[in-house]
Amino acid sequence: MNSLVRQFLITDADRETERSSELTNEDRPSDALWGSQAGFGHLVEGHAFNIPAVPDPSAFLRLHTDDHADPNCKIKIQHGTTTLAFRFQGGVIVAVDSRATAGSYIASGTVKKVIEINPYLLGTMAGGAADCQYWETYLGIQCRLHELRNRERISVAAASKYLSNLVYSYKGMGLSMGTMICGWDKTGPTIFYVDSDGSRLKGDLFSVGSGSTFAYGVLDQGYRWDMTDEEAQELGRRSIYAAGHRDAFSGNTCNLYHVKEDGWKFIGNYDITKLHYDGPGAVPGAPGGGYGYDVRTDSRFSTLSEPVAA
Amino acid sequence: MPDMSAIVNPQQRQFNPYAENGGTILAIAGADFTVIAGDTRQSEGYSIQTRYAPKVFRLTDRAVLAVNGFAADGNMFVKKVKQRLEWYRHAHAKDMPLRAIARLIQTMLYAQRFFPYYVYNILGGIEEDGTGAVYSFDPVGSYERETCRAAGAAQSLVQPFLDNQIYFKNQTAAQGSPHPAHLPLPDVLSIVIDSFTSATERHIEVGDGLEMYIVLARGRTLPDAVAGLRPQELPSAGGEKVFVLKRDLKKD
Amino acid sequence: MFLTRSEYDRGVNTFSPEGRLFQVEYAIEAIKLGSTTVGIRTPHGVVLGVEKRVQSPLLEASSIEKIMEIDTHLGCAMSGLTADARTIVDHARVTAQNHAFTYDERIKVESVTQAVCDLALRFGESVHDEDAMMSRPFGVALLIAGTDELGPQLYHTDPSGTFVRYDAKAIGSGSEAAQSELQDKWHSQMSLTEAQVLVLRVLKQVMEEKLDQHNVQLAQVTTDKGFHILNERELKEVIDTM
Repeated sequence: MNSLVRQFLITDADRETERSSELTNEDRPSDALWGSQAGFGHLVEGHAFNIPAVPDPSAFLRLHTDDHADPNCKIKIQHGTTTLAFRFQGGVIVAVDSRATAGSYIASGTVKKVIEINPYLLGTMAGGAADCQYWETYLGIQCRLHELRNRERISVAAASKYLSNLVYSYKGMGLSMGTMICGWDKTGPTIFYVDSDGSRLKGDLFSVGSGSTFAYGVLDQGYRWDMTDEEAQELGRRSIYAAGHRDAFSGNTCNLYHVKEDGWKFIGNYDITKLHYDGPGAVPGAPGGGYGYDVRTDSRFSTLSEPVAA
Repeated sequence: MPDMSAIVNPQQRQFNPYAENGGTILAIAGADFTVIAGDTRQSEGYSIQTRYAPKVFRLTDRAVLAVNGFAADGNMFVKKVKQRLEWYRHAHAKDMPLRAIARLIQTMLYAQRFFPYYVYNILGGIEEDGTGAVYSFDPVGSYERETCRAAGAAQSLVQPFLDNQIYFKNQTAAQGSPHPAHLPLPDVLSIVIDSFTSATERHIEVGDGLEMYIVLARGRTLPDAVAGLRPQELPSAGGEKVFVLKRDLKKD
Repeated sequence: MFLTRSEYDRGVNTFSPEGRLFQVEYAIEAIKLGSTTVGIRTPHGVVLGVEKRVQSPLLEASSIEKIMEIDTHLGCAMSGLTADARTIVDHARVTAQNHAFTYDERIKVESVTQAVCDLALRFGESVHDEDAMMSRPFGVALLIAGTDELGPQLYHTDPSGTFVRYDAKAIGSGSEAAQSELQDKWHSQMSLTEAQVLVLRVLKQVMEEKLDQHNVQLAQVTTDKGFHILNERELKEVIDTM
């Protein structure tokens, strides 16, 4: 049957099932890979994933890639994170750290953990970096197709459900992602938490990742619905700072985004060490001064660097 | 007398298609050039299999790919990337731009999400806007554009050095003279050479030879200091230029 | 003439002894029944215009959709069996988005056109369990307009899967008169407004009804603003300058 015709006749769930059964050798000659389609036919046909020829593929994957189970495993997929998003009167604040760890090595301190799905949808990255990057980019093109076919932007609920169904079809195969899909649609500012286990939760406030407990501490303490934009941005920044400070797997810098009615806006990138000593600088909403250092050392008799008086 | 213990006692076997072949790669982007380098030693465990196994490959006139990890996977991966680049050329009548190659590599790596290539890729070259760029990848395709990146056996030796020398991490600029955003080519080359000689000194899997690919933006020429090192120019269609500079590293 | 055809004009996959595929030729004839559609390329962008046949005063003219967006930098106008165009346009959209996903760049105008034409020939009987097939050729022709690194471009595709690039092209029932008018009036340094006016003039010439903002549709693809269908107010402004 024509793949296009099938696209209209068969439901998404059917297609996902069919795709799983198509998980065969990538060397199978496919016209999707050449000619005018030059490799972009695979999305109509479904992603062609290559699976090792072993009785239990996910055990194989775990053996070689899970650095929690075995710190000596060869393929270290990047992990570790603090991400948060909350809804308030002025929209949605999204704040994340930028550290990627492979085992105890800091693989990168400049990771973009906010994925710009399109001009009015953001996704956050926690868990497998590639899983989040790949599927959220894929979600972006599906949202665009929705827009072209329906002459209307996709709702955050629909977008997040699309992603949720997608990763659920791979359940048990080793995908790892915990993401917040944030945007503004007809219903107002919206956040959905989606993860690779299949959870999909609507809510006002989420934090995901190894540093989430630290972020929640600050976030819950300072959260109010009627915050000003500046207060809300400061709360996001301050919460990521707290997680970066206390969680070894989080840190380096904080990326801050604000979603409003006309789409998201990148607010800034803040060095977490600088936040500790000097604060975010002349930023609206910030009290001035460092988040951590001054409050601990001001009016104390000594600091670590001062010599002991004779 | 056959050994009966294997029949009596339960035995566990695991499918292990991966090996670690050592070596290190690195790439540094300048304002209008990129240097992509790798050593040429290939080893398994404590024995050296060969002293010349290239890990850096030219893809197009403005893109060079360095591959590290499991050599068999790496070589196959490079082969497949080159095949896709050729198909793209036929389908779209142009060379694939650097950022397109970066995205393509992500999708190719991710297609192996459940049976990963054990490879760390660093892609370097010149973007459409004429700037130097480095893209680094994890084995399943997460990627990021950076200014510099080291990967492989001596990653943890070289990357902190680059952080200090390229990003000026933990350095305070003198009053009135801020750190430059990009270093000139001769400086970058000496940092690359120093990185590899030092890594050779302290890491058993690094050494033998060093291959440095230099990609120059359209209309740029090599500075005299670099031309004096007599790098070999690879044939290109004009526009961007690609040079290779080879050096010996210690062989013990 | 018809006698010699009768043997060979039934199967969609049988050549006649003279080497013709009649069903494909008939499909091309179907386009000549369609409403007139015009496209003009200028150095600043491409303008597309279609005639909407408003058959009844009770018909909601805005529901006739003959110009469709493929992506921000691509659009197309159709003539013939417009229902067939839905399948084609969806294929073009999916192709464009898949290209964006795989290569993080906009697809070239020629590449989507090629992809559309690949689809045009997937009719006939399928071999083994192959993924084909439609039962008949498409009965629609498209004018595909877009911009890419090669500048603004206009392509024409027909049911035979052939595509050709044009500076200005008319298809549909009034295409012959329209094409010769375009040949007279088109010049290489046209402004976008000149092109809009020329499209409307050409349509006006071949239309039976009096042209107004309800029975024509105008769209353009420009280098800086991308694809845009002119709304009634913008359309009226152009009509007024005619």
